[in-house]
Amino acid sequence: MPDAPERLRIVIVDDEELARRGLRRDLAAAAGVEVVAECADGFEAVRVVSEAKPDIVLLDIQMPRLDGFEVLELIDPGAAVVFITAHDEHAVRAFEVNAVDYLLKPVDPDRLMKALARARERLARREPMPVAALTAAARPAGTTLSRILVRDGPRVHVLPVESVDYVEAQDDYVAIHAGGRSHLKQQPIAQLESALDPGRFVRIHRSYILNLDRLARIELYAKDSRVAILRDGSRLPLSRAGHARLRGLLHE
Amino acid sequence: MRVGLFLVVGLLLGWLVTALLGAGGVPWVEAALLGLPLGMVFGAICLAARYPCQAAPLATTKPLRLAATHAGAAVISVGIWAFIGAVLSRGLENNDRWAGAAGRYRGEAPTLVIVGLLVFLLAVAMHYLVLALEAARAAQVRGVEARVLAREAELRALRAQIDPHFLFNSLNSIGTLTSEDPAAARRMCLLLAGFLRRSLQLGERERIALSEELALADDYLAIEKVRFGARLALDQRVEAGAGECLVPPLILQPLIENAVRHGIAQLTEGGTLRLAARRVGGRLVLEVANPRDPERTGRRGAGLGIDNVRGRLRTLFGEAARLEIQTAGAEFRVTLALPELMAPAAEAPGAEAPAAGAPPAAPATGRAHA
Repeated sequence: MPDAPERLRIVIVDDEELARRGLRRDLAAAAGVEVVAECADGFEAVRVVSEAKPDIVLLDIQMPRLDGFEVLELIDPGAAVVFITAHDEHAVRAFEVNAVDYLLKPVDPDRLMKALARARERLARREPMPVAALTAAARPAGTTLSRILVRDGPRVHVLPVESVDYVEAQDDYVAIHAGGRSHLKQQPIAQLESALDPGRFVRIHRSYILNLDRLARIELYAKDSRVAILRDGSRLPLSRAGHARLRGLLHE
Repeated sequence: MRVGLFLVVGLLLGWLVTALLGAGGVPWVEAALLGLPLGMVFGAICLAARYPCQAAPLATTKPLRLAATHAGAAVISVGIWAFIGAVLSRGLENNDRWAGAAGRYRGEAPTLVIVGLLVFLLAVAMHYLVLALEAARAAQVRGVEARVLAREAELRALRAQIDPHFLFNSLNSIGTLTSEDPAAARRMCLLLAGFLRRSLQLGERERIALSEELALADDYLAIEKVRFGARLALDQRVEAGAGECLVPPLILQPLIENAVRHGIAQLTEGGTLRLAARRVGGRLVLEVANPRDPERTGRRGAGLGIDNVRGRLRTLFGEAARLEIQTAGAEFRVTLALPELMAPAAEAPGAEAPAAGAPPAAPATGRAHA
């Protein structure tokens, strides 16, 4: 085995105490693993994982407050995540497509040991979780994002999409402007754009996504160059293609 | 069957033709020699009249066309038949013993033609009668088949309603309990088996007492309580007499599962599921309410059970039943109002059942609330 850590540090995330106890019991029988924490909901999981920095996260999908995919989006992608689900055909397909390991409930202890071995290999290869692909695949076809999650240290902000004024690309990050505040999130703007409702959010510029509800008017700024004026007075640059898209939507 | 019918009809007609010829003065042996073959031929013609009847159904054919079809068929077939008689009588004359047979036949031919036309029309009427009876029988069979199919479809739908999520999670709980508390694991197995058996049994019936539906909910919630522990609390208020009201089976169950899965299970601290049943002015009002996470609205899967219940109420009661969803702050509440039906034994005055079909008597199980 390559240079995987000797002793795997594990965090168990499941809202059912009985399910956590079962996993803990099975893990107690395994060599070279240590359960460092248990979490009962998604917020707690994000906080605990960012503090404890475990090697492996056993992550239930159906959970209060944040589901497993939302937790995945918010934690360090270096940890090997093994998903657990009782019955979620949609999620299972996403795992299969992306070669991500998962366990089904009731959990088979042998299967759990195999998952640990695979996680150990993933850690040794330093292979990050395919977070973007998984979160995209986890959203049912034809649905759009209803809220954006942003992590601020150990805290999680939940931004309902209707509260978002506009999104601005900043290198590898997006700055999400909502209600006069700005939240930074590590995500390519194109990826966020593809998850948002195209009837409400428009890519008006290479670096900007606008919530249509916030648009007050469009002003000609120079020859062939326009700006979007928002209800709160903010001014966003409009690219030529962005202007065409915006006009297309407004005239529908 | 067909051959037997043909022989009987043919012989009867043969006797009729023989009698007609004999009555008209034709010698009896000669009358029988002509009458029997003519009777058999006419029998075949009468039976074949079924086909024009089938081609021109009474209900959809215009009267004029109907009359024309059968009058035409009668004239042509009786004409051919009478001509066959003439040929036969001519044939008889080849033997000296039957000399003059053709002349005697010609004398009786008008009588034969008139009677033939009448018999043919009688046959047409008989065919229509038989066809109508057959159609009625087929419709009855189809009706029964349709009812059976509808019941099967509903049963399948009900079975599919048993949430796989719930099943697998319960099995997972049992798995954990087997190693740490075998007695509890066994209790959980029994609870689960009881719930499954009861929901299948109830699903087979058309109407059940509300108390039975609530007993199923008790089984279900006892299982969920093992999973969720202190996170799941129950507040059940069933007004006196409401338990005896009849409801379609598994009408509350999807709502209760919804309340647990999309409401209470989504809250870290859990919450109280409120169940209420009361009778209000000839209606049975059922309420399932649960706290919910206001930050998680419109999650996937939510509402499927509710749509299902709404659809069933519509098919069963039409406008007489209502399903309302209220979301007040952090509470999600579904209210059902349906016509108050009573088991015949416990029928209260003035609580007449407007629903179609007599509801089967349901034993009202006694219930104790903790």
